[in-house]
Amino acid sequence: MTITINGKETVITENPGRTIDSLLEELDVSQRLYVTVELNGEILDRPAYVTTPVNDADVIEFLYFMGGGR
Amino acid sequence: MTQTLRFDSLLVHGGLEPGPAGATAVPIVQSSSFAYGSAEALEDVFRGRAAGHVYTRLGNPTTEALERRLALLEGGGAAIATASGMAAITTAVLTILRAGDEILSSSSLFGGTFSLFRDTLSNYGITARFVDPLDLDGFRSAINERTRLLFVETIGNPKVDVPDVPALARIAHDAGLPLLVDSTVTSPYLATGVQLEADILVYSTSKYINGTGTTIGGAIIDRGVFDWNSPRFPHFEQYHKKYRAFAFTARARKLVHKDVGACAAPFNSYLLTEGVQTLALRMERHCANAIALARFLADHPKVAWVSYPGLEDSPHYPVATRLYGGRYGGLLTFGTGDKASAFKVINGLKLAKNLANIGDAKTLVIHPASTICADYNAEEKGLMGVTEDLIRVSTGIEDSRDIIEDFKQALDAI
Repeated sequence: MTITINGKETVITENPGRTIDSLLEELDVSQRLYVTVELNGEILDRPAYVTTPVNDADVIEFLYFMGGGR
Repeated sequence: MTQTLRFDSLLVHGGLEPGPAGATAVPIVQSSSFAYGSAEALEDVFRGRAAGHVYTRLGNPTTEALERRLALLEGGGAAIATASGMAAITTAVLTILRAGDEILSSSSLFGGTFSLFRDTLSNYGITARFVDPLDLDGFRSAINERTRLLFVETIGNPKVDVPDVPALARIAHDAGLPLLVDSTVTSPYLATGVQLEADILVYSTSKYINGTGTTIGGAIIDRGVFDWNSPRFPHFEQYHKKYRAFAFTARARKLVHKDVGACAAPFNSYLLTEGVQTLALRMERHCANAIALARFLADHPKVAWVSYPGLEDSPHYPVATRLYGGRYGGLLTFGTGDKASAFKVINGLKLAKNLANIGDAKTLVIHPASTICADYNAEEKGLMGVTEDLIRVSTGIEDSRDIIEDFKQALDAI
């Protein structure tokens, strides 16, 4: 299946059990404790990471407050 | 499965990532800026889409290693390391306050904090009101529609009083306000932010975190527990929308810390990651030496009074015992009746150093009324508990017998 991560189309294997939390681990996203996840234009609450499934054509943005400018 | 480490182990291993060539010390990344292979990659970091470093004023790998460890020590959350403890307090309060807002602060404060609140911030339309931190009803009734934060020190410096911090947290939270706690004097070893129910902690890392008086630094810890989604904090709306529980840290990092620029130097951050590893061992000795010295002073005929929360007859003993698990810190004060005799004692000390600092491995003394509190009038000195005969002692980690012998010979000679 194909999802869009930070504006880039990315092909990932089919996995019906995949959640946002497991996707963060699968992609080895840095600073998982602090990253904010925007799914299809909506900011997800942190507790929802473990219950929210990843679906085909999802548009996902990772947001950090750590290193960058505004 | 990741092992959950206990506090003393986190001091050594917390947030530590594998270093180059197997290095186990935190590497010193002494670089002002960080290069990226493509314009797109740097754009992603600037937009916050990717984690990374840009410029050491905003963040640095060595400083980030320190920040990870400090946040873990406080029970989780996000940390910002700063150039000094005052930089931490300035950055934290400017992140929350705007012109017209008010700080409701403990009156038992470090002189630098008192000056920041009363003299500097008042130039920018921010007012501070000061209440005795032991007067819980006074705090509750002093909150008004302009109040935006409550501020307290865990153990007042130099008053050595011990407010009931969790009770103040509940007063703040009942009013929809955050409690900022300066835990410099206790360090997270005596009580973490979780135990204190603090929303945000600030401290000077120059003291017990460093431990040997070699570094100036500060830290802000955001526990990520305060709900900034409130009409009192409309300026947090955009940060809460994106960063939710960490709206405070996002606003601090993306605005105030970035603009004020009081960042930690990488070498100082390295020294702090070294120093903090022995915090538990040192704090035990600081506390043991303080109680031993306090008991000696209390029995000495030339000593008029001693203030140390670990003395059973101290009015602060019950609260300190409940909050800090039978440890009372390394700070104590005593008086010899007048300024002249206080000066004689300080001049007679051979081991203890006469200087403006606390939390060093060495035992330190100072006469606050003529030094760190000299700018304050009699009423303000009264608020801060500073009398003309007061000597502040920060006990080091030497053999307590040597500390006591030093004070004995200085006192016997007056």
